Amino acid sequence: MSVLTRSNRNSLPGAQGGRTRLQREWREWLLFVLLVGPNLALFAVFNYWPLIYNFYLSFVDWNFLREEILLVGFRNYVRVFSASKFYVILLNTLVFTVASCALTLSIGLLVAMLLNQKLRGRNLVRAVIFSPTILSGAAIAVVWAYIFDPRYGLLSEILGLVGLPSPNWLTSTEWAMPALIIVYVWKNMGYAVVIFLAGLQAISKDLYEAARVDGADGLARFIHITLPGLSPIAFFLTVTTILQSFQAFDIIRVMTGGGPANATNTLIYHLYELGFVSFNAGEAGVIAVVLFSLMLVLTILQVRYMDQQAHYNVRD
Amino acid sequence: MKQMTRREFLSSVLAGSSVALLAACGAAPEAPAPAAEETAAPAATEAPAVVEQTGSTIEITYWGSFSDALGEAEQAMVESFNSSQSDVVVNYQFQGSYEDTAQKFAAALRADTIPDVVLLSDVWWFGFYLANAITPLDDLAAQAGVNFADYEPVLLNEGVRQGVHYWVPFARSTPLFYYNKQMWEEAGLPDRAPETWTEFAEWAPELMSGERLAFAHPNSASYVAWLFQGVVWQHGGQYSTPEFEMTMLDENTVRAGEFYRSTTSDEGWAMLSADLNQDFIGGAVASMLASTGGLAGIQSTTQFEVGVGFLPREASFGCPTGGAGMAIPADTADEKKLAAMQFIKFATDENGASVWSRSTGYMPVNLKAVESPDMQAFFEENPNFRTAVEQLPQTRAQDAARVFVPNGDQIIGRGLERILVNNEDVATVFGEVNTELEQAAEPVLRDLETREA
Repeated sequence: MSVLTRSNRNSLPGAQGGRTRLQREWREWLLFVLLVGPNLALFAVFNYWPLIYNFYLSFVDWNFLREEILLVGFRNYVRVFSASKFYVILLNTLVFTVASCALTLSIGLLVAMLLNQKLRGRNLVRAVIFSPTILSGAAIAVVWAYIFDPRYGLLSEILGLVGLPSPNWLTSTEWAMPALIIVYVWKNMGYAVVIFLAGLQAISKDLYEAARVDGADGLARFIHITLPGLSPIAFFLTVTTILQSFQAFDIIRVMTGGGPANATNTLIYHLYELGFVSFNAGEAGVIAVVLFSLMLVLTILQVRYMDQQAHYNVRD
Repeated sequence: MKQMTRREFLSSVLAGSSVALLAACGAAPEAPAPAAEETAAPAATEAPAVVEQTGSTIEITYWGSFSDALGEAEQAMVESFNSSQSDVVVNYQFQGSYEDTAQKFAAALRADTIPDVVLLSDVWWFGFYLANAITPLDDLAAQAGVNFADYEPVLLNEGVRQGVHYWVPFARSTPLFYYNKQMWEEAGLPDRAPETWTEFAEWAPELMSGERLAFAHPNSASYVAWLFQGVVWQHGGQYSTPEFEMTMLDENTVRAGEFYRSTTSDEGWAMLSADLNQDFIGGAVASMLASTGGLAGIQSTTQFEVGVGFLPREASFGCPTGGAGMAIPADTADEKKLAAMQFIKFATDENGASVWSRSTGYMPVNLKAVESPDMQAFFEENPNFRTAVEQLPQTRAQDAARVFVPNGDQIIGRGLERILVNNEDVATVFGEVNTELEQAAEPVLRDLETREA
């Protein structure tokens, strides 16, 4: 854009002197600062400053209440990393993230492909599938806690119909995590469906027709046209789903409180516990640094990949 | 080439401005503060005139923690105080659970937007005491005409440090043994709570049928470490000494842990419940240990008759106190402090304690309330409440590890979940809990040294 305007400007007859051009560029910069400045200031105050301050907090012993803040070097890091609980929590976070991401995307894609067909009432179904996405996580969690109840819950009724006993979803260490994942996937799948649908509709029909003429069956068309065509969108969804699931809090807070026995305790929930229940600013800071580092790595990977894929488009 | 230099220039401008912004942010807390104080000073001298103009009614804010029936009772308490006099208007604000209230109070202290009275639970008030965030109450009590001698000493003394009162008992409770009388009768058991855990273990198989179990433990979020406190004492152990020496590996403490483990594994007559009251009310279990604070609510919900009794003994009797009390923030203005004390007096005097106790099941914190005709008549109609009050003199304040160590309750509770759900080795789990408690206690010990030097 700017290159274009400049070349236009240069081609004007009787180009102005260097001084006015400098003034104009100054004015452009001023405008730039004016437009970007407020946003940047907000980012600085609410994102960058807390980030830097958190790094500082990870090296102190402080309970938010005391006047003096004690610097303790790497003690908080040693404590966090030497507690066996930390690795349980890290593994939980990994399991939760990978499972909910994989299920959200795979089920989301299947549903999107189904809804991409010309079926009666598909608009209604689309709305129904998307609706959990906009509901409050806390409210959903309360309802699901009832659904999961092994004695009077809806799910135990349904399992009973097919002769299966209901597990103690929320009070057993094996089933609490799967229960959370089910709720999380149910809540967030609608978003993936909508994005996948947009992606599916962007794939040119010509490609499918050409493939059909060449004798490709449904599976071959899916593998060679649909999947590559959706790959930028799938990648975008993978990254956003992973980043979101790292921050899943409401459902855990309401349904399990990280229990039983830390079976559903994740990094973000542990951060909350350390910071706002134990008032342990230092160790909470360490967890925040860990979380930040993980997300940073993911984001860098994403940027790298996007650079490689930037100009890839089925329609070209 | 020109484009490059332009971009470079822009990025340097960007970097420069963000650094300047960050620097400004960093300086912000210190720099403007003195200016603000200077401007505030003249305003402060004018302040009393403003208060007099409003007709000398003092408005104070009370932060409470109860919802449902308990919340209604709390609201009713505030309303009857407001209509009982015209000097003070209490503005009642519900803050969520005990945890929510404490978290918001901590945030409010930093933001200087504190309430004038705050309800703090047994595990929270001490942290605010250490931080000098709550005010000594003795002078205020004298001015407001509160006689601390009227209060139940076991409960009152928990809020005393170095002879000074900081925390006035209000919604105080103890655990009780609750049982389903119908299931008791069907099992052919005597209509009373078991006297010892050994006796209950003999009864338990009779109480089980189909999916139903004899007993249930709450999870850590519902304070299993509070109920286990009594069980530990009954076995002759403790969580810690009053001097913060952690004793989770004391042989009797471990023995109590072994007993808890066996209830859900070897003996298998108990389970961990995600919603204990619901499971008891719904008949999924025949009995439980739970707070007296839920007595009124449970009795009005169940389809069956509810029996209650003292906690079972083992080597000895042991029962902790619990619940919440009221405190006044240290930075509340003096005139508001007195108004706040008047509200506390109203809520905990003979009449207040009696009304609150009868409508909730919490302990009458005032000795005069216990003896009052209203309360006595109420006991006649509701013998279960009498049981709760009769157990009170035998209770004692909890171990420092649970109530004075930040998150001590949850550290122990999570350990108990591992034992109850995962059947893990008690000594291993308690060893880890011990270490965690020791680490969490360090800042408390340091603060105690400066606070109580």
